[in-house]
Amino acid sequence: MTSDPRLHISGLTRRFPDAPHPVLDRLDFAVNGGEIVAVLGRSGSGKSTLFNLIAGIDAADAGSVSVGGTDLTRLSERDRTLFRRRRIGFVYQFFNLIPTLTVEENAALPLELNGDRSRGEVRRLLAAVGLADRADDFPDRLSGGEQQRVAIARALVHHPDLILADEPTGNLDAESGERAIQLLTDLTRERGASLLIATHSLAVSRLADRVLTLEAGRLTERTGALAW
Amino acid sequence: MKILLLLAWRQLVRQRLQSALTLLGIALGVAVVVAVDLANESSSRALERTLDALTGTATHHIVGPPRGFDEALYLRLRLQGVRASAPVVEGFIRIGGETWRLLGIDPLAESRFRPQVESTDEGALRRLMVEPGSVLAPPRGARHADAEGRMVAEAGGRTEVLRLAGTYRSNAGIDDLLLADIATAQTLLDRVGRLDRIDLQLSASQVEEVAAMLPPGLHVEEAEARRGHTEQLARAFQINLRAMSLLALLVGAFLVYNTVAFGVIRHRELLGTLRAVGATPHQVVMLVMGQALLMGTLGTVLGVLGGLVLGDVLLALVTRTINDLYFVLSVREVTVAPGSLLLGGGMGVAVTLLAAGIPAREAARVAPLTVQRRSHLERRTGRGALIGAVVGAPLILIGLLLPQLAERSLLAGFVALGLIMIGAGALVPLLVAGIGAIGSRVVRGVLGRRAVRGLSAGLSRSGIAVAALAIAVSATVGVTVMVDSFRVSVADWLEAILVGDVYVAPPGTVSSRVDGTLDPSVVERFRALPGVAAVRGTRRVEVMAESGPVSLLAVEAVSHTRDRFTLLAGEPESAWQAFRAGEAVFASEPLAFHRRIEPGDRIELMTDRGMREFPVAAIYRDYGSEAGVVAMGMSIYRQLWDDPDHSSLVLYAAPGVPTDTLLANARAAAAELSQTLEVRSNEAIRSVSLAIFDRTFTVTRVLRLLTVLVAAVGIFGALSAMQIERAREHALLRSLGVTPGGLFLLVGLETALLGLVAGLVAIPLGVVTAEVLIDVINRRAFGWSMDLVVPPAVPLEALTLAVGSALAAGIYPAWRMARTPPALALREE
Amino acid sequence: MTAMQGRKRVGARWCLPGFLLALAVLAGCGAPEPPSDSGVNVAEALGQAEAEGFARATDPRRFRFPADHGPHPAFRNEWWYLTGNLEGTGGRRFGFQVTFFRIGLSAEPVESPSAWAANAVWMAHFALTDAHGKRFHAFERFARDAVGLAGAQAEPLAVWLEEWRLTGTEDGLPWRLEMAEEGIGLNLSLEPQKPPVLQGDAGLSQKSAEPGNASYYYSIPRLAARGTVTSNGETIPVTGLAWLDREWSTSALGPDQVGWDWFALQFDDGSDLMLYRLRRRDGATDPHSAGSFITPEGGKRALAAGDFELEPVEMWESPRGGRYPVAWRLRLPALGLELVIRPLLRDQELELTVRYWEGAVDVHGTRGGRPVQGRGYVELTGYAE
Repeated sequence: MTSDPRLHISGLTRRFPDAPHPVLDRLDFAVNGGEIVAVLGRSGSGKSTLFNLIAGIDAADAGSVSVGGTDLTRLSERDRTLFRRRRIGFVYQFFNLIPTLTVEENAALPLELNGDRSRGEVRRLLAAVGLADRADDFPDRLSGGEQQRVAIARALVHHPDLILADEPTGNLDAESGERAIQLLTDLTRERGASLLIATHSLAVSRLADRVLTLEAGRLTERTGALAW
Repeated sequence: MKILLLLAWRQLVRQRLQSALTLLGIALGVAVVVAVDLANESSSRALERTLDALTGTATHHIVGPPRGFDEALYLRLRLQGVRASAPVVEGFIRIGGETWRLLGIDPLAESRFRPQVESTDEGALRRLMVEPGSVLAPPRGARHADAEGRMVAEAGGRTEVLRLAGTYRSNAGIDDLLLADIATAQTLLDRVGRLDRIDLQLSASQVEEVAAMLPPGLHVEEAEARRGHTEQLARAFQINLRAMSLLALLVGAFLVYNTVAFGVIRHRELLGTLRAVGATPHQVVMLVMGQALLMGTLGTVLGVLGGLVLGDVLLALVTRTINDLYFVLSVREVTVAPGSLLLGGGMGVAVTLLAAGIPAREAARVAPLTVQRRSHLERRTGRGALIGAVVGAPLILIGLLLPQLAERSLLAGFVALGLIMIGAGALVPLLVAGIGAIGSRVVRGVLGRRAVRGLSAGLSRSGIAVAALAIAVSATVGVTVMVDSFRVSVADWLEAILVGDVYVAPPGTVSSRVDGTLDPSVVERFRALPGVAAVRGTRRVEVMAESGPVSLLAVEAVSHTRDRFTLLAGEPESAWQAFRAGEAVFASEPLAFHRRIEPGDRIELMTDRGMREFPVAAIYRDYGSEAGVVAMGMSIYRQLWDDPDHSSLVLYAAPGVPTDTLLANARAAAAELSQTLEVRSNEAIRSVSLAIFDRTFTVTRVLRLLTVLVAAVGIFGALSAMQIERAREHALLRSLGVTPGGLFLLVGLETALLGLVAGLVAIPLGVVTAEVLIDVINRRAFGWSMDLVVPPAVPLEALTLAVGSALAAGIYPAWRMARTPPALALREE
Repeated sequence: MTAMQGRKRVGARWCLPGFLLALAVLAGCGAPEPPSDSGVNVAEALGQAEAEGFARATDPRRFRFPADHGPHPAFRNEWWYLTGNLEGTGGRRFGFQVTFFRIGLSAEPVESPSAWAANAVWMAHFALTDAHGKRFHAFERFARDAVGLAGAQAEPLAVWLEEWRLTGTEDGLPWRLEMAEEGIGLNLSLEPQKPPVLQGDAGLSQKSAEPGNASYYYSIPRLAARGTVTSNGETIPVTGLAWLDREWSTSALGPDQVGWDWFALQFDDGSDLMLYRLRRRDGATDPHSAGSFITPEGGKRALAAGDFELEPVEMWESPRGGRYPVAWRLRLPALGLELVIRPLLRDQELELTVRYWEGAVDVHGTRGGRPVQGRGYVELTGYAE
């Protein structure tokens, strides 16, 4: 598996016009298939920027991002979008459910975008996240934890290779957060997908295979027992 | 508070596009209202000025038969001590393609009658009197004169060279009259030996005395009454314009409300934050109202300025129509009426404040946290939709019933129209919610459902926008259907009356009336023409009825005559018999309506033998005169009026003679006469008549276009506000893999859906509007009836218009959405 | 003499210089005068016709009567001018003035099929002084010389403007003068008591040094008047003496002549006096001032400017502006006449298109030391402001 990293990043650089230093400064790292990697960093350290670059919804100043051997930075906007649609799943800090769609419809959205109208997997996943009975409710009737679980189902429903989770617990209380992250990691492992998770929670990072720290635009890798 | 003010300002600046759209929406709404009002006011005033000039300070006029009366009467009056009297000969001539009213006067008798006009040219009056063909013109008329002061004019089909004796200036703004000595006017207007009227200043006690001196056929008429008749004619037309301006006001108000309310709704989160950090409800209201007042004032100022420019354009159209139909009038500039500016300006500011006030109060009232919850707002709006329906339905009902209650009131018609429109507008949000609810069941795709539900979920945004668009489109549909129905009826009517093959008449100076004459020798000449089977002469003159002047149409009853009249009321067989026998007359539909005449009634007319009563046997359709016409047989006309002339001739081709041959023969015969005659085929007359009809409705068409434009701008503002609000959702869709093109389509579809709903509402509402315009407004204003004709293309056109304008408004926001990198929108909360 | 003073405040019966006929149809521009009772404002010029084309009074001519009582349309201006003092029962005194002016607009006839075409207009003034009621009435009318509204003819004599008219009978005399307006009326028969007197040089009256600036001028200094005066709804039988002045010309006045004082006096000894003083801008008497003394038998003695002295003895301030010398001392040494002239009313100012003073007067004095008295009319122009 080491010979075929699921995600490979090299020399990735991103500057913002007003900032004196680049947010991301020549990053190099790889995530293997089935691997769960946590990215630790303070607010504003560039975690979200990194995730957006990986997702192809922001453009890098230099470097490359390749997922499953495809270099996203060399694709057109349209191809990148189509690639993302099939191969990547997202979980956001603020859930980002569509208020006018029901729970089931929200979860089914990525499948439908890929032309798949079947609902079997949607229902399975909703059952897995414990929301089978809420399928026809609208998001505004759900608690934060429940909403995030819908988002997790949505991120996994189309069997992506790579799941990006940006501070998935950042807006949840400790208990809900734990439950959500457990579901996310369990389901990811179950399906053999890779998960890159941005967090500043030690509890979350403990569930990861590896932990990377983003600081001053650079990544450092920690292995083994965590000192902090 | 300083920070709040700063905040208000910065928001406006930061959201430049939104602010600009709000301004544009307010400005357009105000501009249309101001422009229509200015055009109306200016034409009214010009009409008033001209009537002032014509009436002068006269209290009464002596008027008589159509072709004037013997001038000797004037000397008799003078010798009998009626010294406050002045002779007048009046008519129309054309100079440089323009029709001018020529007023022939005796300068020496004028002193007390027309003080508003003055000339400072030395010796101008002497020249007026001793140089035949000389006239006094206003400065703008003087430019037609060459270096020697000569002007070429057409009068009664002849070309004459006039001399400019001098210019006059008027402190009353009169500049559409040519003044000539009475000798010149008699010669130019073919009135030698006759006067058209004598102006008088009489005390009440003198009226009888003067009346007693008059021969039969002449009578004393109050100046006010005479004026009133003319003003009444133009008023009906202006009322119709006013209706259009009220429609524009309604749509404008809806849109101003819409635009401003959006702005406030979009700032709810900010308002919530302000409340959360401790701003009092009062401060929040002040902030919102301050912002609205700023925008309202700015937009209104722009709108008033725009209205002045637009008013100029409309005025030209309005004036042309008045000239075509009613009265020779020239209005060259907009009279800036403070009332018009106040109306539009007041509308702009008031509606802005109202639009901002309701959501502002709401935002200030609710608790700081709930302000941020949109679903709460949507629930409130959902309730609003219900309330709207509860209010709207009875309004429509009242609107439909009102015209029946107030049977002849034009005002009631307008109020009804307004009520129906407002009621329908109030019903729209519920309808939208309903369509949303049904749609979410019917539509299968998740994205499709999102679009359908977005309609009802975003009711606070979409409801008013759809209502405004629906009203604008229905106004358009209503006016289109009304004009089309009218045109079809006029075309049918022309078909019915143009039964002859070739028509001969002196060129008219005013398209709507024939004021030239054909003497009997001309008639004989055409009778002898080869290829002519029959010649029917008609005489169209103005006579006095007991209730004011009325057009009289005398026709020769040849075998074809019967087809000419489409009888609407009266027993046809006996009516025809009585008409042919000269025992009864027919009344045109407007006349019957205005003077409440029914078959069997009698109408009194002033003949050359004195007042005579005529039984009315039938009512016939006539779109040629909205004042009304009395039709009678030529023989009875000749018996009672000393007038051997004809106004026009209708030639019927002999069997086997093609119309073109007859036309050529008639033209050749006309060319040999000293009098210029227009010889036209019935086809040519038909197309000219319809061209005038179409010209009349140009102003209507322009207003209709403006209404849609105003609506489109409002929709544009509404949609871009909606789309900006949904930026986050769209960014999410992008990140989930919706391509830019896909998102563009998606947003476009949502927009089209809004347009579709508006269009669906607009079709029935438009047909009802047309029905009201035809059966209530037109009927009451002009006395015309017509059949409602909904052209099959109208529903499709309405949908296309609604969807098209919504799409046109949606394209930019959609494009913007598709282009925005999703990262930006997603990152912010 | 009569006064036509317009914009330049200058005028004369014989030349109507700068005659500005006000026409209200075109009135209003800087009209300084209030409207008269006929509603006409002084404001705008009808404009004066060019003298060219009209006949001029250059040489003495032969006068023929009654033809010359009629119109002379070849000349630009002409008038019939009647003044007189009347007495009713109980010695109630009246004065009257009636003037018909013909004003030529063009020397050529106007070519038009319309009967209204006219190359002349008429203006008429009618004033009545009621000395007993201390009232003065003045009226004015205009009409064109067409459709019977106004005109003149010689035989039988007729001069009219609407129903105001001076007419002769089939046989000629007496003449009848009928005037009425707003309850004021005059209906007189007029019988000449003396033959016409040709003024100036056998009827050619030179008004300035320029040739042609002259008129043909004759007077009938004494006409017996008999008839009625109507005033305030009362019709009073009257008798008295009238004076007729007739003049026609195509003249213009010299630019330095600003006005005149004209006197027509009838003495109880049967003699009559006419004289006029032309005033120059500097107040001096113009040398063309002249007059004539007519004996009871009708003999005429011409008077030149140097033959008389005029001296105002009383000034009257018009409420409408201007100061008029309304009473005079007149001395004619050559005739041994010393007279004082006093008005019946001070305010006999006509506030019409042209404002001037024309009024009935009484005369007292001596002739060769013997007392003499009489009545007459005085016209004062160029004083209004």
